[in-house]
Amino acid sequence: MSGLLRVENLVTRFYTDEGVVKAVDGNSFHLDADEALGVVGESGSGKTVTALSIMRLIENPGRIEGGRILFLGQDLLRKSERQMRRIRGKEISMVFQDSLSSLNPTLTVGTQIVRVLRNHLRISRRDGWRRAMELLAAVGIPEPAKRVSHYPHQLSGGMRQRALIAMAIACNPKLLILDEPTTALDVTIEAQIFELIGRLKGEFGMGVFLITHDLSVVASFCQRVIIMYAGKIVEEAPVEELYENPLHPYTLGLLRSIPPLDGEAERLESIPGEVPDLINLPLGCNFSPRCALADERCWQVEPELSEITPGHRAACWKVKSPAATGGCHG
Amino acid sequence: MVVYLLKRLILAVPTLLIASFFIFSLVHLAPGDPIRGMLGQYQDPELIAQLRKAMGLDLPFHVQYARWLGKIVRGDLGISITVKRGAPVAELIAQRFSVTLELATFSLIIALLIAIPTGIISALRQNRLSDHVSRLIALAGVSIPNFFLGILLILLVGVYLRQPWGAGGYVPISRGLGKNLAHMFLPAVALGTAYSAIIMRMMRSAMLDAMSQDFVRTARAMGIAPWDIVRRDIVKNALIPVITVIGNSIGYLLGGSIVTETVFRLPGVGNLVIMGVFRRDFPVIQAVVLIIVVIRIFINLAVDLTYGMLDPRIRYGGTS
Amino acid sequence: MAREIQTGEYELGAHRTLLQEFWRNFRRNKLSLIGGVIVLFYGFLAIFAPLLAPYDPIEQFDAPPGMRNPMPPLSRDEDGRLFLLGTDKFGRDILSRAIYGTRTLLEVAVGSIAVAMLIGVTMGAIAGYKAGTWIDEVLMRAVDIMLSFPSLVLAIALVGAFGIGKIKLGPITLSNIVKIMLVIAITYSPRFARVMRAVVLQEMAKDYVSAAKISGASSARILLKEIFPNTIPPIIVQASLMMATTVLTTSSLSFLGLGLQPPRPSLGLMLNEARDYLFWGAWWYVVVPGGLITLAILGFNLLGDGLRDALDPRQARRRR
Repeated sequence: MSGLLRVENLVTRFYTDEGVVKAVDGNSFHLDADEALGVVGESGSGKTVTALSIMRLIENPGRIEGGRILFLGQDLLRKSERQMRRIRGKEISMVFQDSLSSLNPTLTVGTQIVRVLRNHLRISRRDGWRRAMELLAAVGIPEPAKRVSHYPHQLSGGMRQRALIAMAIACNPKLLILDEPTTALDVTIEAQIFELIGRLKGEFGMGVFLITHDLSVVASFCQRVIIMYAGKIVEEAPVEELYENPLHPYTLGLLRSIPPLDGEAERLESIPGEVPDLINLPLGCNFSPRCALADERCWQVEPELSEITPGHRAACWKVKSPAATGGCHG
Repeated sequence: MVVYLLKRLILAVPTLLIASFFIFSLVHLAPGDPIRGMLGQYQDPELIAQLRKAMGLDLPFHVQYARWLGKIVRGDLGISITVKRGAPVAELIAQRFSVTLELATFSLIIALLIAIPTGIISALRQNRLSDHVSRLIALAGVSIPNFFLGILLILLVGVYLRQPWGAGGYVPISRGLGKNLAHMFLPAVALGTAYSAIIMRMMRSAMLDAMSQDFVRTARAMGIAPWDIVRRDIVKNALIPVITVIGNSIGYLLGGSIVTETVFRLPGVGNLVIMGVFRRDFPVIQAVVLIIVVIRIFINLAVDLTYGMLDPRIRYGGTS
Repeated sequence: MAREIQTGEYELGAHRTLLQEFWRNFRRNKLSLIGGVIVLFYGFLAIFAPLLAPYDPIEQFDAPPGMRNPMPPLSRDEDGRLFLLGTDKFGRDILSRAIYGTRTLLEVAVGSIAVAMLIGVTMGAIAGYKAGTWIDEVLMRAVDIMLSFPSLVLAIALVGAFGIGKIKLGPITLSNIVKIMLVIAITYSPRFARVMRAVVLQEMAKDYVSAAKISGASSARILLKEIFPNTIPPIIVQASLMMATTVLTTSSLSFLGLGLQPPRPSLGLMLNEARDYLFWGAWWYVVVPGGLITLAILGFNLLGDGLRDALDPRQARRRR
């Protein structure tokens, strides 16, 4: 059981004029088939860079500097660009955030889907179009026969996002990466889209890597969750475990900042302070400047991500022993 | 699409009307009596009165304009006074129009054939040697005046290399298409260089713009082949703003052809208008300027339509 | 009171850092620095023309026995006078004519840009301030019409209307050079009007303008004291970009014989004369004036691009 995806010590950096941005700084995690892994963090925490690293889509001035990305046991970092092209869109697919800018405005939705199909599968143009229509129907777009020849700007935001998903799942990928797929959409459509992805996941045994800054989405959709802060994983746990027993002070802050669903309590507590500059990271724990519990050791020495209880990892000096966690809840 | 075309055509009418009014007013803006100005030293009062009446200059301004416009719509561009006394201007233009048209078209073709591929390659190989070289050439190209380049080409090809086709002058097509084109080649290069450089720079920056778009990343994430991404994602989208520049800069080709005709001694429309200005032949000036403006406006129209074909967002209006 | 002084100082400080940032951005681009150096060189040439030119630009010298004018570079006449860059067809010193020609070219270009700016900025400011009213509509319509003319064609048409050489407008006599400035100023004022209108509109949407309006300041006061200072940078960028175009148009007119008139030294005219001596191989007659025009256009292009990029670094990064 090596799992679908196993990322080990991934390091991705950007060499900008201002300095070296440590966007992803030595992270390891894994993802199984038919599993949804939520990746949560503020913008700039390295979620998207992690995803793009898996896809090997890091562009200049960025570089993947180290680690291994094992997909079905094979290291993607050792693949040639040509081999990667055969994996992208077929084995691993990605749905981006902004559906309007992520679709080519000069090609119809159908053309863009058929193009992916014909790129990876031996399929006639005619069958491609039939399949594109089926896909649009499958993602819940009404009148697919009509919509297939529409241009992106002619569709609503929800429909565009579905079309983008249709394109991503066209070749039944084993791993689907979703980068905040529902930020621009309203709650009902968001729910529909997650229901759809959940169904596809069950049908094809697809692994889902869901990037979001919204913990409530993770709660309803994912089995496990990773919390990222300033390029590092600070906590990883099964979803229920994380909600019941959050260990890292940052996670705690995130959980407090979710407004309760029933809206009973009005308190929306955000974490004071700012995300650190990824070029000049603090010496010790990245979170220490904002952490209420930080002490000398937190400022000086960086804590390692270590397993606290089975399946539950955290990178915090204050939670070394299970006994200490009680203190964190305060 | 048809509605869009009609809408654009109707919108062009007032622009044309005002432009024609402006051109017509130019004569009346002229300091002093235009007739006296035209006649120069032959200031015969009887001739002046005759011409005045013949040209309708004794009528109120708006009536004159209406009559002039009415004639123009019927294809009567007036009578030349001094360039070729008594000859219909329309005839003079017709004799020369093909030369200018050939020159402008030839240089447009050469310019685009060079600019578009160079712009594409330059952007795809951004900051490599070939990019730097083509950008430097483009910079020189936008800076060198076409008349200087034209004379340099004559000096090089006609004088130093002793090529008969490089010495300027016009060979009509009746004396062989090959000879005709050969003589047109240097003028077309001289005229097209700056234009080509403008388009190349625009193509390059539009390509770079398109390359940084999200949908290119999507295509890469779907494993689409690089040549297909270049063709359907990058170039197709980059061409949209470039088409506008191609159209907007056509004015440069039209204005520049006047200069180029002078350099290479080509008997074109530009040559005619220069003679018109020297000899103060107002009907000739008015007619040529009007024709150039009309062509310009119609080319812009054609460009907008092409734009519509390339960009479905315009073709179909807003969201449906 | 104390607080007012403080805010004043703060603004001054902010202004200084903006300038510093501008300079840093400008300096980063090597090409724009080269452009600046070229422009300085031309300014030097124009200002010190009388000191730099070895001879009177219209003095004619006889070729020594066995030689004919135009004489090649480094020739001497019988009295041993050295002509560093040769002579023209009348035996005038090319170097001196080129230096004075450069001076005239810059005079005309700077003068016409100044007038164009004055006309265009006024039109644009009024249109922008009265945006949406009939005044705006009329002004912008006029701008559109003028822009539908290729600029060289418009300039030629205006020369056609005014006539070649100096002109009498009622009691006033305009010298030829002033008339050319006027022609080019009219041709290019619409572009300034467009930029100005856009900037004014943009500034009007900002809070400080509505604050001034609420406090009851008059329109003219708001326009002059609040909005105008913020329009200066984009107008300057536009002006420096337009300098290149103006140099091209001015020398094109002179080349066609419609601009500066002999014996006044003019680079464009020199090229025109040189055409008759191409087959003598009189390359210096061509290369000196042509090269000077080209280098000037190149310098202004580089400087203008650099200024634009330095003012808007975000756009610039995309362009690169």
